[in-house]
Amino acid sequence: MGGLLEIVGLRRTFGSITALDDLSFDVPAGHVIGFLGPNGAGKTTTMRAIFGLIDLNAGTVRWNGEAVGQAQRRRFGYMPEERGLYPGMLVGEQIEYLGRLHGLDPARATQAARTWLERLEIADRIGSKVEALSHGNQQRVQLAAALAHDPELLVLDEPLAGLDPAGIEAIGQVLVERAQAGCCVLFSSHQLDLVENLCEQVTIIDHGRLVVAGRVDDLATSGGRRLVVRVEGDRRADWARGLPGVTMSEVDGGAARLLLDDGVDSDVVLRAAMAAGRVTQFSFERRRLSEVFREALG
Amino acid sequence: MKVVIVLLVVAVVLAVRLWQRGRRRGGTSPPRAPAWLTRRLAVVGGSLGDVGLVALREIRERVRGRIFKVGTVVILLGVAAAIVIPKLHSGGSAAPPQRVGVVGTAGPVLTELITYSARHSGTSVEIVPESNLAAAEDALRSGKLDVAVVDDEKIVVDRAITANDSSTTASLVQILAPELGILHAYESAGLSATQIEQVARARPVPVQSLQTGTKQGKPKNAPTSVVGIILLFLMLTQYNTWILMGVMQEKASRVVEVLLATLRPIQLLGGKVLGIGLVALGQATLIVGVALGLGAAVGSDLLHGSAPVELVSQLLWLFLGYAFYCWVYAAAGSMAERQDQVQTLVLPLTLPIILGYVLALTTAETGNPSLFFKVLAYLPPTAPFCMPVLVGLDQVTWWQFVTSVLISIAGTAVMAHLAAGIYRRAVLRSGARVHLRDLWARPAGRFRTPDAAGGAPG
Repeated sequence: MGGLLEIVGLRRTFGSITALDDLSFDVPAGHVIGFLGPNGAGKTTTMRAIFGLIDLNAGTVRWNGEAVGQAQRRRFGYMPEERGLYPGMLVGEQIEYLGRLHGLDPARATQAARTWLERLEIADRIGSKVEALSHGNQQRVQLAAALAHDPELLVLDEPLAGLDPAGIEAIGQVLVERAQAGCCVLFSSHQLDLVENLCEQVTIIDHGRLVVAGRVDDLATSGGRRLVVRVEGDRRADWARGLPGVTMSEVDGGAARLLLDDGVDSDVVLRAAMAAGRVTQFSFERRRLSEVFREALG
Repeated sequence: MKVVIVLLVVAVVLAVRLWQRGRRRGGTSPPRAPAWLTRRLAVVGGSLGDVGLVALREIRERVRGRIFKVGTVVILLGVAAAIVIPKLHSGGSAAPPQRVGVVGTAGPVLTELITYSARHSGTSVEIVPESNLAAAEDALRSGKLDVAVVDDEKIVVDRAITANDSSTTASLVQILAPELGILHAYESAGLSATQIEQVARARPVPVQSLQTGTKQGKPKNAPTSVVGIILLFLMLTQYNTWILMGVMQEKASRVVEVLLATLRPIQLLGGKVLGIGLVALGQATLIVGVALGLGAAVGSDLLHGSAPVELVSQLLWLFLGYAFYCWVYAAAGSMAERQDQVQTLVLPLTLPIILGYVLALTTAETGNPSLFFKVLAYLPPTAPFCMPVLVGLDQVTWWQFVTSVLISIAGTAVMAHLAAGIYRRAVLRSGARVHLRDLWARPAGRFRTPDAAGGAPG
């Protein structure tokens, strides 16, 4: 397994709306890649473009250097945002059917359905109709259907939405395992804390354009130094405002997150905090993904 | 005929009720198809590629459905009733031959006259020599004889025959009496036995007309034709509804997005059309086969003359009608995702079917097709109803029939092309009902991803 998905110069307009605006990025194998952006940024349109579900004004999608066509897509797995299962069809038969459409023979499709339903802890529902399952279990069936043919690329649109913690953990583990097995995994989510835990890389887009892409660790440690300072009894951190070379990122529960420009001495900040009251916390911190996201979008 | 129609209507209503009851129960796990059938179908489906796999799923889901099982059984029962009940009403297939006693010499001329009269009254006959009039009268009273012919001069029956008597005995007597009178006149005129035999065997000469005349009166196989038209209408409507609802449900459940991530739109649509078409063809063939077999077994009047040819013609036109309309309904289904949106789409699509159906029923009853009706027999939307009627009325030549078939096939090809385009553009658009004018608002650029299926912003 292994491969590289290349999104190259995608452009798509809907009337006066530009959904994708010369969007380009790569999805390498072996990593879980978070695909982030505000509502309407173009995430779903991009995912649909990967599977040929929309017409493009310009651009191309490549897999290992070749334009993606039906033969390549047969080796991809897809979980759309609004899900897509036959409500009246039996769970096991549904996964077998979708597996066969991806090229599995009947025996392998049956085996894959059993394997993935067991792995996702819903093997006891193999003979149930999909419509009889809870939302979370339907989501697991959808993921099993996307995984049944052991895809080289897995594209998941909001796979964690609406799941309970157990469901999030189960699906999250599977995504990490697939990436470790050499699969390309691209998934979108608005739950940034979860994305930060699961993903090694993120791609952030807005208004159809690439804003930021890179390793989570790099993004977290890039930019100015970050200080978290908490002063007893002070919930607004007014003492930090106006310090030269210091920018207030946010105040959360009395903890002020500060960005320090190059050359700013942190002792200056400490003295200012001590002047305001008793300092109960003073530490350097990585940027959280939510901050990266917010700062990237301005 | 009214009995047949009532039976069919009752059958349909029962099928719908049973289906609705089944849906209300809900919640129970549907039975899996037998393992051997699943394996066999899987092999067949797999060998046909992606289209075969889609078709296979359609076949399995349709055949498994309660509405299909109940509907098939009810239609078969209705057809069986339509064939058997009229036969029972008219005395059944094993009705005994008319027993005709002959007092005096039963010469070859008299024997032939009696046989001729029986054939033309729609019955068979057994000629029984009687020694004298008294013995013949005793046999009539005891029911051993139906009719007695006395010395070629008179006919004796047990009960008086009235003018509106439609019994088999009455029909036989009404034909035999004038024939005997003529025979008696020949003898009185002094013709020899040989001359009388020659004259008695005289048959009408054929009449040739210079212009094609219109047939008067109700055609003989009108009941068969009407039953066939009703079944054609019911089946065509049912199969088209399957296509419509199937496409709409795939769109509404968003499963179409998963499927089109792997399949081309034409593969998905083609598989659906093929699968439902095979189920339809199988069901219709079963019904026609049972009708022909049962009709032959009981000697039904419904399957005499050109009726079997008309039934087979209706089967062919059911296939052609389905092939034409399935694309229309698939395109309509791709433009809606809710029942209320479907309602406004279905009505205009149903109009040509209803027009063809009503005109075909009327013409089958009157046996007098108008020029307008004949024109409709060449148009793909109405030909499935009109052309079989012309076949039943023997008002169409083989080349006219073939011409209509070819026009229908060409029309189907055009419709399939248009429908595939609409489907590709509409099926991934969610939300409000899609209108045709929306579909051709293409992207400003000219580039398309390979195998792109259309779509809406997301």
